[in-house]
Amino acid sequence: MMRKVIGILLIVLGLGYVFVSFDFLPAIGDSSAPAHKHVSDYYIENALKDTNSPNLVTAVLADYRGFDTLLETTVMFSAGVCVVMILGSKSPLRKRYLVPKEILKGKPYGGIPAYKTVNKDVMTTLIEILILLYAIYVLLHGEVGPGGGFQAGALIALAYIVNVMVAPDIKPLFKFTKINAVAAAGIGVFIYAFTGLLTMFAGGAFLEYGKLPFPIPENDLHPVGIMMIETGVAIGVMATIITILIAIIERVRFDDDRN
Amino acid sequence: MTGIEQFLADKGIYFLTFFLLSLGIYGIITCKNYMKKLIGMNIMQVSAIIFFLSLGQKKGATIPVLLEGLTNSDAYNNPLTHALMLTAIVVSLGTTGVGLALLTRIKEKFGSVEEEEIIRRQDKL
Amino acid sequence: MQHFPALVVILPLCGAALSLALTKIHIHLGRNVIFLSLAASFCMSIMQLRNVVLNGPMEYRFGGYALPYSIEFRIDAVGGVVVSMVALMGLITAFYCISGEVRTDKIKVGGAYSVVALFVAGMLGTASSADAFNMYVFLEITALAAYCLIALGGNRGMIAAFRYLLVGTIAATFYLMGVGILYAVTGTLNLQDMSVIIHQGGKDEAVLVALCLLIAGLGVKSALFPFHGWQPSAHTHEERGSAALIAGVMVKIPVFMLFRYIYFVFGMDYKYMKQVLIILGVFVGIGMMYGSIRAMGQTNMKKLLAYSSITQTSYFMLGIVIGAPVALAGSLLHFIGDAFIKGGLFYCAGAIKYKFGTININNFGMIYKKMPVTATLIVSGALSMIGIPPTVGFFSKWYIAIGAIQTGKYIFLVLLIISSLLNAVYFFKLIEKVFMENDKEMEDIRPVKKGELPWSMLIPMTICIAVIFLLGFFNVPLINIVLPLFEGVGL
Repeated sequence: MMRKVIGILLIVLGLGYVFVSFDFLPAIGDSSAPAHKHVSDYYIENALKDTNSPNLVTAVLADYRGFDTLLETTVMFSAGVCVVMILGSKSPLRKRYLVPKEILKGKPYGGIPAYKTVNKDVMTTLIEILILLYAIYVLLHGEVGPGGGFQAGALIALAYIVNVMVAPDIKPLFKFTKINAVAAAGIGVFIYAFTGLLTMFAGGAFLEYGKLPFPIPENDLHPVGIMMIETGVAIGVMATIITILIAIIERVRFDDDRN
Repeated sequence: MTGIEQFLADKGIYFLTFFLLSLGIYGIITCKNYMKKLIGMNIMQVSAIIFFLSLGQKKGATIPVLLEGLTNSDAYNNPLTHALMLTAIVVSLGTTGVGLALLTRIKEKFGSVEEEEIIRRQDKL
Repeated sequence: MQHFPALVVILPLCGAALSLALTKIHIHLGRNVIFLSLAASFCMSIMQLRNVVLNGPMEYRFGGYALPYSIEFRIDAVGGVVVSMVALMGLITAFYCISGEVRTDKIKVGGAYSVVALFVAGMLGTASSADAFNMYVFLEITALAAYCLIALGGNRGMIAAFRYLLVGTIAATFYLMGVGILYAVTGTLNLQDMSVIIHQGGKDEAVLVALCLLIAGLGVKSALFPFHGWQPSAHTHEERGSAALIAGVMVKIPVFMLFRYIYFVFGMDYKYMKQVLIILGVFVGIGMMYGSIRAMGQTNMKKLLAYSSITQTSYFMLGIVIGAPVALAGSLLHFIGDAFIKGGLFYCAGAIKYKFGTININNFGMIYKKMPVTATLIVSGALSMIGIPPTVGFFSKWYIAIGAIQTGKYIFLVLLIISSLLNAVYFFKLIEKVFMENDKEMEDIRPVKKGELPWSMLIPMTICIAVIFLLGFFNVPLINIVLPLFEGVGL
């Protein structure tokens, strides 16, 4: 009861305060607000010249504020490691508290699936290949120019998830054990950090792509650098999602498990 | 436009985001179920994301991908807030993932995600 | 040399990323790489501090773009000292963790060190960053690793971790909202640039709202008095090896951030700063009393230390509230010293738990005979907490008291003395338990052939004892390093 009162008080006070004084924030859509005039304008006007990327969000995310994205990948990786560590010790099946649903008692495999006439194994393989192709397209050409490593990683992981969840019996296109998956996530982060270290050894600042030690014109170095880090992001994200999937599957007993 | 319409157009989204923020905190404080608390947490994080995105909007502007011949900086939405929120989304994803993993363990150990049940069983362990 | 600010953070990050892959090759390879990276990071932080003292602040721009457009790391004298402290604590705590590792499971060994390295990298980054949003991401890396480390402490640890996750996320969201409002009115995320724009004036209301959000968010993260609810259970049930890092260092970093926001971004000439500091002063005053009084009734050593932590956090904030340069310097000295005192005491709790399986202080009997180094550390830590010369605790409180007298805030002086006396009550109880013979004989569950404890635990504890006394003896040079910086910003 006390908690409810505190909660309601909080919500009323917060909203009341906010109602009376929104004057300190600029109106939405006002293009002369300070938020649009200082840093953001510089990005819009100079992104093409500085980073050679027509997609401004990619330019900001991967180049101007590339260090934030390294940390973003690190957050993903650390979430993966944390989940593995927390779900690490496996308790015996009987001790787990998940009880099969009442309906499924006496029907060990959950009944005959309606889609039995469709050969789902073949379909799965087809869909997987399509998903992988799309992932590569997103990685190389996500909204004009390279970028979209995160989405590409999620798509590759999706192909794996489809395989594991829909057709666990057929041979998958690629397979991970738990430690391999976590290690791959770490390697993805390291590829990103290594790109930065490379520019550092070549005499620039961390993640200053213009100083990458490759024999190509300097204008092209920025897309190359963005491509390298996005590959790292893709590997990291893919491996993290697969890690979490494996860690959960190991533990949870589904209602139609066979034993 | 009348006063209320003007207010909704200029500041309405701020009001909504702060409403979502309060709603999330209210959920975390009052719900007895840990899963619901986690959902409240998610609502709260989403409010911060919407807040930043609404800061990045400009009237009549297009998405921040450069078009040929259009160099006026007022013609594109603010790319910075979008980039920041991509990071914030990943952070919220990681937090939610760790929270769910913790809940899995708690459910296995205590047999429940209800706060009262857990407090009752905590002393027996 | 000019890359050191970045490398200090990035090396532990790389170590953490590679740890699991290397563990697959050999079970101890990943661990050793992480030790190497942390040691390198510590050496660099010391050299960087030396450079800062000699040549003035260092700045590092990621991506090499001009200033408000790229992320910046800025190391001034205060930041350099804090970064060195975090790096040293991280290194010795990683060392201390050796005794607790599971030797069979590769994922567990590699993963645990990976989490510790991420934790240290997150704190190092938060302390060196000069970009509001970058700080948020580092703060979240730290928090994620902390949730994991607390959850590894057993069944109650999981509940504590889940509660901390909820509260910590509320705090992070508040911080993010505060940054959002600051961005909306200034259009920049770089702290220095933001400071310049705020000082042009006309944004007082927005800054006030943002400041309130920042205080709430960072206050929760650092367990400042009214926001401390998550802290005692989290500190009691966390994993034994890394407890020193969580209790000793993690809760201090947000205080440091708050200090930077108040003094280096908003500045003392900000219109509502007086009122904000008065409200903070009320929190601090109550917090000092509350922590000490609650700690007196505890019998679990970790819980006692956790409540005493609330008092210590209030002491750092006290320096910030008083605002005189000397008080700020004293606050920083306390900040550094307390990391080693609190960390050291948590090492002791871990060592006693390791050897005897209990940390109930009523069972402590004859520890000074069985574990002389542990007993020395407990005694020197407790004396320093109370504030008895020549330990560091005395000098830091001395400087804070001088600051209180200089600015005429005698109420804080009185509160400081009363709180120190209350500290004396329960820490003398702890010392008494260590030295008095007790009828209850504790069973040694892990006999070691030579010495009292494995060497991996003894070395960190010895370093802590050394630092407590060295900082006490050599407090004047440290104060001299940081004082010029504070004179520019204080009252």
